Amino acid sequence: MLRMTGISKSFGSVRANRDIELVVPPQRIVGLLGENGSGKTTLMNVLFGMVRPDAGRIEFDGRRLEGHTPREALAAGIGMIHQHFMLVPAMTVTENVMLGWAETGRWLHPAAVAARIREASMAYGLDLDPGSVVASLPLGAQQRVEIIKAILRGARLLVLDEPTSSLSPPEVSGLLDVLRRLRAEGRSVIFISHKLGEILDVCDEVVVLRDGEVTGRAEVAGVSRGDLARMMVGRDVTAPLERVIRQPGHERLVVNELTVRDAGGVMRLRGLSFSVRAGEVLALAGVDGNGQAELADVIAGLARPESGHVFVDGADVTRGGVAARLAAGLAHVPADRATEGLVREMTVAENIALRDFDRPPLRRGLWLDGSAIRARAVERMAEYDIRAGDDESLVATLSGGNQQKIVLARELGRHPKVLLAVQPTRGLDPGATRFVIERVMALREAGAAVLYISTELEEALGVGDRIGVLHAGRLVGLMPRADADVTRIGLMMAGALDEAPGAAALYGTSPE
Amino acid sequence: MSLLAIGLAFAASALLIAAAGKNPLVAYGALLQGSLGSADRIAVALNKATPYLLTGVGVALCFRARIINIGGEGQIALGGLAATWVALRFPQAPAVVLPALALGAGALAGALWAGLAAAIRLRRGVHEVLVTLLLNFVGVLIVSEALQGDLGEVGAGFPQSPLFARAAWLPRLIPNTDLHVGIVLAAATVIVAHVVLWRTPFGFRVRVLGASVPAAAYVGISPARTFLSVMLLAGGLAGAAGAVEVLGVHYRLIEGFATGFGFNAVAIALLAALNPIAVLPAGLFFGFLETGALAMQRAVGVPSPLVAVIQGLTMVFVLSAMGLTAGRERV
Repeated sequence: MLRMTGISKSFGSVRANRDIELVVPPQRIVGLLGENGSGKTTLMNVLFGMVRPDAGRIEFDGRRLEGHTPREALAAGIGMIHQHFMLVPAMTVTENVMLGWAETGRWLHPAAVAARIREASMAYGLDLDPGSVVASLPLGAQQRVEIIKAILRGARLLVLDEPTSSLSPPEVSGLLDVLRRLRAEGRSVIFISHKLGEILDVCDEVVVLRDGEVTGRAEVAGVSRGDLARMMVGRDVTAPLERVIRQPGHERLVVNELTVRDAGGVMRLRGLSFSVRAGEVLALAGVDGNGQAELADVIAGLARPESGHVFVDGADVTRGGVAARLAAGLAHVPADRATEGLVREMTVAENIALRDFDRPPLRRGLWLDGSAIRARAVERMAEYDIRAGDDESLVATLSGGNQQKIVLARELGRHPKVLLAVQPTRGLDPGATRFVIERVMALREAGAAVLYISTELEEALGVGDRIGVLHAGRLVGLMPRADADVTRIGLMMAGALDEAPGAAALYGTSPE
Repeated sequence: MSLLAIGLAFAASALLIAAAGKNPLVAYGALLQGSLGSADRIAVALNKATPYLLTGVGVALCFRARIINIGGEGQIALGGLAATWVALRFPQAPAVVLPALALGAGALAGALWAGLAAAIRLRRGVHEVLVTLLLNFVGVLIVSEALQGDLGEVGAGFPQSPLFARAAWLPRLIPNTDLHVGIVLAAATVIVAHVVLWRTPFGFRVRVLGASVPAAAYVGISPARTFLSVMLLAGGLAGAAGAVEVLGVHYRLIEGFATGFGFNAVAIALLAALNPIAVLPAGLFFGFLETGALAMQRAVGVPSPLVAVIQGLTMVFVLSAMGLTAGRERV
């Protein structure tokens, strides 16, 4: 169906694609696997006509595509679903589908389009109401709007760029089902991801990219996770974590009867209580939107609870702000590093100083100590292997993995007593993910209490000494790692199983 | 970038001059002669640039923090009014103390006026663009009101205050010219603002707040407190600009004494790419340009509003260039 041969593209001195060959037969799901910066997105932008290749040939359905625009690619039957959705949030599903669609015609016929949406939605199990406003839909449903747009526009090849990065586990499995139906119906899919599990789950074959080159291609049936990881990273990053088991120490983070309402008066946290001890990781799993963001904000001092208390290393910081938390020894790796954890238009050095600039040694009297700030940056860049031109480089120019390393270097470099980490590996490739988790585990070794909030169940199970499950603002399960069972936790995440934890589970086993 | 924009603006304006049947080179020659041709002209231009520098650097700080303060007009007007009141109220005060006192009063009035806008924004949530813009009209009208009333000169045909006592005048920088000490004050302010923005915790907070509100919250910066501080600072600078204008140039308060200054300051801040130190050349450029405008009109018959066209075109080119680099500039 699609044949791309000899694709090469350089940006300045960076060779993003080198002589890449990609063949997609009809009715196949082809995985495109690679770390961030390996050239996946460039290759797809070449396919979609957004980037002109330096060399190479594209054939689609026997027709040569050359110098085409995205509109022509679309007309030829290639649909692209970007990582960031191209939807108008204030408009309904129907209006979004009509937008920029030639078949809409000169006069709008919303009812007719809505009927087609309903029909397609039934056929592919997309479960979409044409009349709902996009902004009110969860991310998974917004993605299905993008898919329906592509289908109705006649896309026979769908390209999905990191489609699962913002979805919860049930949404991911729903998406994979949709892709299988599309295949059964005669379409092909290019599935771009750096998540091995999903590739193995849904793809028929996989092409692995590293540093702009194809480093492996295989039928999924005959390949293992370890093989794929080696092709992708060049070393094995799937080895289990080494973990020193020992009795956790005293309670360092205590959350007591926390109740939070959002601006609309909806209860987001309903009397949440737990504690995390020194040398322990409590991993909270749960589908996004079940109170994780509110819990993180309250612990971090960004929001006030309606009732309840937060203690950091014995100090009641509930009524204090961010400064009180910093003083008590709380480090915070926020979920959104692009706009919250970092200032992209500032330098690496300034970002490493971001939460410490107002105290000695970085502040001296009335002044910022520029040389101390730079010295700290140089030191941390070496310690955390931050790959940037120098400490004066703008953060916006760095890869996602290096950006997250800056956040870690700043937050962990303070030797915190408590770490609040919210989805710290979101959007990172396996190498960077491994790095983040290893650093978190090292902090645990050093005696800090870690609250690790993740929507990736597998990751929560790998990292946590105890696993808690959040559902609808309550802790519906809390168990030691040894007792953690994927099926049971999955049911809890879906709200089908409620095991309100007893006191022993809530506060961990008391040290003898 | 800004230099290129200025060049393009002059080139485009040359076409307009030529279209009007005049020789652009002769016109620009007159412009140059009128602004730089003699010590007197330079003194006038520097005086003209002084309020621009003071107000412009405050606006640059505001815009850095993503506070769209366009209330310079009103803040300058009230600064002039407060300075006038002090100058007329204490004519017997010593010659060094009185201008300083009047300048301080002007700065205070400007700061309070900006603080009022900030309070409405923070308490009531009305966007600062609206509040500062509307308070401009109120501020300017308060000045008119005062000049029609107690502060007005009896028997004058025009709404203006009586002439200040000599003791209230800003000292001359160079004897036998009009140049007053304001320009030194303004240049020093620009340098201080530059240092504050890049070298102090306060400046760091301003930059973080301007770049990302969630990041500012994460850092523990209070958006409200920073908003208020920056507004007070900018208002104080604008108020001082108004005071300098009445104390150093007119020696009295005149209705409409600073019309357009506040908006020119916004243009200057943008021309400087919101970089305080770059406000210095940008403000001087505006000052010299406007000083040369009348000379150009007299000598060549090119209407002086053409200078406004050059200023406007410069802004268009600068803003277009900014659009090209949006998101890639350091804050």
